[in-house]
Amino acid sequence: MSISQIQKHTSPGRAFSLFTILLFSLASLCAAKETPAKATVTTADKPVQVVRVNVTNQAYDFIRPWSKKAPFSRHALGSVLADNRVLVTAELVANANYVELEKAASGEKTVATVEVVDYEANLAILKPADDKFLNGIKPLELTEAHVGDHVSVWQLEDTGALLGTAGLVTNVEVSRYPIDDSALLVYQITSSLQYRDSSFTVPVVKDNKLIGILMRYDARTQNVDLIPTPVVQHFLTDAAKKEYRGFPRSGIVFSPMRDPQLRRYVGLKSDETGGVYVTDVKKHGPGDKAGLQAGDVLLAIGDKAIDQDGDYVDPKYGKIALANLISTGNYDGDVVKFKIFRKGVTSVVDVTVAYRPVDDYVIEPYTIGRPPKYFVLGGLVLQELTGQYLKEWGAEWYKKAPQSFVYMDEFQSELFPEGHKKVVFLSQVLPSTATIGYEDLNSLVISKINDIPLNSLADVDRAVKNPVNGFHKIEFEESPTVIYLDAKQVEAESADLMKSYGLPALKRIE
Amino acid sequence: MRSFLWNTLLVCLALTSSTTLAVTPAAEVRKSLVRITVTSQDANYKVPWVPGNIGGGVGAGFVIDGQRILTNAHVISNARFISVEKDNDPHKYVAHVQFVGHDCDLAVLKIEEADSFFKGTVALQFGGIPEIESTVTVYGYPIGGERMSVTNGIVSRIDFQTYTHSGIDSHLTIQTSAPINPGNSGGPVLQEGKVIGVAFQGYSGDVAQNTGYMIPTPVVLRFLKDIEDGHYDKYMDLSVTTFNLQNPAMRSALGLKDDDTGVFVSQVASAGCSAGVLKVGDVLLSIDGHSIASDAFVDLDGQRVQMAEIVERKFKGDDVKLHILRDKKEMDVTVNLNAAWPYNMQANAYDVRPRYVLFGGLLFQPLNRDFIGANGIDNLRVRYFYDYFIENEIYREHPEVIVLSGILPDQINSYLGGFKDTIVDEVNGVKIKTLDDLAAALAKPSEQYVIKTIGTGRPIVLERQAVEAARQRIMSRYNVLSEQNLSEAVN
Repeated sequence: MSISQIQKHTSPGRAFSLFTILLFSLASLCAAKETPAKATVTTADKPVQVVRVNVTNQAYDFIRPWSKKAPFSRHALGSVLADNRVLVTAELVANANYVELEKAASGEKTVATVEVVDYEANLAILKPADDKFLNGIKPLELTEAHVGDHVSVWQLEDTGALLGTAGLVTNVEVSRYPIDDSALLVYQITSSLQYRDSSFTVPVVKDNKLIGILMRYDARTQNVDLIPTPVVQHFLTDAAKKEYRGFPRSGIVFSPMRDPQLRRYVGLKSDETGGVYVTDVKKHGPGDKAGLQAGDVLLAIGDKAIDQDGDYVDPKYGKIALANLISTGNYDGDVVKFKIFRKGVTSVVDVTVAYRPVDDYVIEPYTIGRPPKYFVLGGLVLQELTGQYLKEWGAEWYKKAPQSFVYMDEFQSELFPEGHKKVVFLSQVLPSTATIGYEDLNSLVISKINDIPLNSLADVDRAVKNPVNGFHKIEFEESPTVIYLDAKQVEAESADLMKSYGLPALKRIE
Repeated sequence: MRSFLWNTLLVCLALTSSTTLAVTPAAEVRKSLVRITVTSQDANYKVPWVPGNIGGGVGAGFVIDGQRILTNAHVISNARFISVEKDNDPHKYVAHVQFVGHDCDLAVLKIEEADSFFKGTVALQFGGIPEIESTVTVYGYPIGGERMSVTNGIVSRIDFQTYTHSGIDSHLTIQTSAPINPGNSGGPVLQEGKVIGVAFQGYSGDVAQNTGYMIPTPVVLRFLKDIEDGHYDKYMDLSVTTFNLQNPAMRSALGLKDDDTGVFVSQVASAGCSAGVLKVGDVLLSIDGHSIASDAFVDLDGQRVQMAEIVERKFKGDDVKLHILRDKKEMDVTVNLNAAWPYNMQANAYDVRPRYVLFGGLLFQPLNRDFIGANGIDNLRVRYFYDYFIENEIYREHPEVIVLSGILPDQINSYLGGFKDTIVDEVNGVKIKTLDDLAAALAKPSEQYVIKTIGTGRPIVLERQAVEAARQRIMSRYNVLSEQNLSEAVN
């Protein structure tokens, strides 16, 4: 849970899917083709500090978790950094099967591996297999941008020549990143981009220094959102450490506090002009460990006063949402001082902010680069509920996916405050002799198998080793409440089941 | 502008006459068929203090014994004025609803000038369930003209079907290939001179063709018998969920023979008639002596029908005898149908006024089907509370789910916009289970009103002085006729 006003998809419109809304899509660039290109200059003489990155992605099919979907390719630009590394967005390499780098002018190629990736910050570092491949290409330096700066968006012509399109930095703010629940700093620029090949994850520069990587582009408004230097710098600094951790959180949710009736209710004096109301503290999270409580008023973080909307005044960027102060301003394990007001008393609490690993969630918001787990028991397909599974219902998943699951996902911290478990459910039934009469069962949470309570698919693996009186007893939290399978029959028919449905294995629980 | 009454598709038609005729010609049916013109006023669930829009329509009905008119409930729902016409009589007779069953879409009307109205009319008699493929004739006043229309077709199917008038009730229904169109509603369907159904719904032509539906006589006669004591008690229900026992391993684990009988009790509603009698895990083997097949069907009068049909034909206070298997032991239990299911929030409501409370410009309404229909709620929590109200027994904590459904903007609530579509949990520390609870809590004098809503973390705080100062201001600015209505009664 992030300390952010933007609560996790509070409305369907906010529930972005990683692979739909936020792509810098070629289609949208096509639409920009007709814009007059006055501000665009092809500069054959400038040094090219980017390489083409060709990626083949292939995601798992969470509805048929034993198989993958059709592969597809993306062509992007990578920014060349020091030490033979290339920077791209994490989105580009999500579920990548194959990554290659291609020199702009010569067309020379090499295979690359993803060295570090952070899906929440949407950044990845690529390492070429040939460590001399990038020799001769000058690495890009980083610099920060400010509102009003003139910048240039880099693309490549087919010839390999650099194409720069002018842009203007219009805003710096905390905004939503492709992964649900992730909100970090972005630079917004306005620029009329044109279609060129390899236009995914293009770099944006100021005075030939990198200020960020393009994350999304709206051809209609010509607005570009960049992953900005402070986020890139944070990522690179973390990546240089022994173990990459990611952007830390404080585990609290707050609400603005402009309402004078609410301010008087909590006892704030009229001369206190700032502060936000803490509405939720994630159990066992950093705020909880530090003793923060729902109902506290957060007045300051470190030396930065928090206003009634949850913003602080950043020396470089002006008013910015406080999430930036915690996430980008600190690293996992840093101690941050929270000034709070509770029942008339003001105090300062040390909060040790921490990165929240994705597997800490009961219902993981994303599953990328890892195969989905499953367990087929005599034709019953058991899975752990994940955000990725729900998103298989498409852009409208919030309304189309099984509603009890969407509800569980949305309110997981409320429903499973203790965490440390997964929701095991029956996703579908592959009809077989053993499952006659069960064909229509689907989307049911399983509470126990053979009297053993389930907290993960690993528990299923253990539970099925001990049938009760020769039967597998499967219990649900709702109707039909319980069903049985003949344990010997399940065993005897498993080979046939694999054969007839083309299952490569009956389980994947690691 | 008159519209023709039609449910999802519905129909009305005419009826026929005497008990002696083997085949009733249209001329005889004219003595029984009536045309019903209704002016109605539907409730406004978006602005609940406003009397709803006035509309109306035309449907059919027919004369039955006791100087009564039988028609569909949906023909006369929300009626403010009803007039009835006979064929070959220019007089418009004023009628009143005597009994209405919204769960079975039937109503009985009384005529003010009964003696002159019923002179020369013939009360229609009821038949049984027609054979599949036999021919039936539909009478009514459907779209396409003013005078009586007659169509015929065959009986296509006899099955359970949702009655779209309430939206949640399912009863036995007969499907016919006879054209049934808007305006046929409430009209009789005849075979060999006897009523074998009341035309009531169908599909629009772009969905399905030649699929009209009628309410069969078991449902009609049950309604007429239920009202004999002067009160309609509604349908009774076991209020249990069952799971078919077709899986051999499951049968064996439960200790059942391989004989395709019995269904598994998978849920017993705590507010229903079976609570305390049946348990989850019981196997129902027979009902009133009828053996229950493993797909929940029974043989009844030579027909294979859903087990529910046995209960469908019973009345309030009747017993249902069940032979069950519990913990592998056979036993007999009796469920007394002592009360109709109390929670109808998922059903369409008629002839009621919307209930609400307005406080500090905040509008609070109980969640129900009409409310959802008017407001189109996207909020996930509200949708969940609605969809799972019965299944997850949300009614135990929230007999009524009170939603902060709207905000009339005013300086008192300038910062409360984020609370729209949230569900009220408590006021000044008191749990809110019904709208009456809320009204009482807000009527209690207090310096401030602290309203907690579910899942929002921070409370709504309204100070007494501010509420009082805002009261008249808000009412006059938004033309609010009344700050609350706690009673469903129309008058």
